[in-house]
Amino acid sequence: MLILSRKLDESIRIGDGIVVKIVAIQDGQVKLGIDAPRDVRILRSELYEETQKSNKQAASADRSAALEAARRFAQQPAPDVPAAVKPPARNP
Amino acid sequence: MKWTNRQFGELEYEPRHEIVFPDGLIGFERNTRFLLVNDDSAKPFLWLVSLEDSDLCFPLIDPQMVRPGYAVTGAGPNATVLNLVALRTPVEDSTVNLRSPVVIGKDPQVGRQLVLDSEQFSFRQPLFSAAAVKG
Repeated sequence: MLILSRKLDESIRIGDGIVVKIVAIQDGQVKLGIDAPRDVRILRSELYEETQKSNKQAASADRSAALEAARRFAQQPAPDVPAAVKPPARNP
Repeated sequence: MKWTNRQFGELEYEPRHEIVFPDGLIGFERNTRFLLVNDDSAKPFLWLVSLEDSDLCFPLIDPQMVRPGYAVTGAGPNATVLNLVALRTPVEDSTVNLRSPVVIGKDPQVGRQLVLDSEQFSFRQPLFSAAAVKG
């Protein structure tokens, strides 16, 4: 792993168009500002890893499990819908 | 066009059915082409079936079935929002990932998996409500 030292307000460039800047350092926390093209996915690592784990679990299912869950669903009452509001009566 | 998937056998589809995920799903970045399969026998579940790996498919559900009023900011009014389901044994232990929705746009059909900032959405929301499981 490449390791670089940076001070407050200093930044690094990654490839074409990605800039990571040290915006604040306080109480053992570093705040980063990131400029990147819109199509670059930026995620906190732990959120990426949780999603990856969850996606792998989803991919391991087979159709019979879905059929069983569907049967279970049919026994469950419909979820509560948020209270519906009626529009005001139109003036003639 | 035809594609064979491990769960569903031979599927027939037209080019307009294909959904491109430019970044893939998280952890599955190499798979970018999918079909959405509506399995009538297992409603309310849908499947996202890879057009590149015959073994790969993900069960999904309309989040309104689990969390009425669920909305993803920035998804766009015409986008379809679905959430991946982890089906477990026993089935009551199954969960839905409300934190990482799949958003599919129209014209062209482009899909993305987001990860929401808000901690009010769980990575493992129980699929069935506690009351229903007890009953």
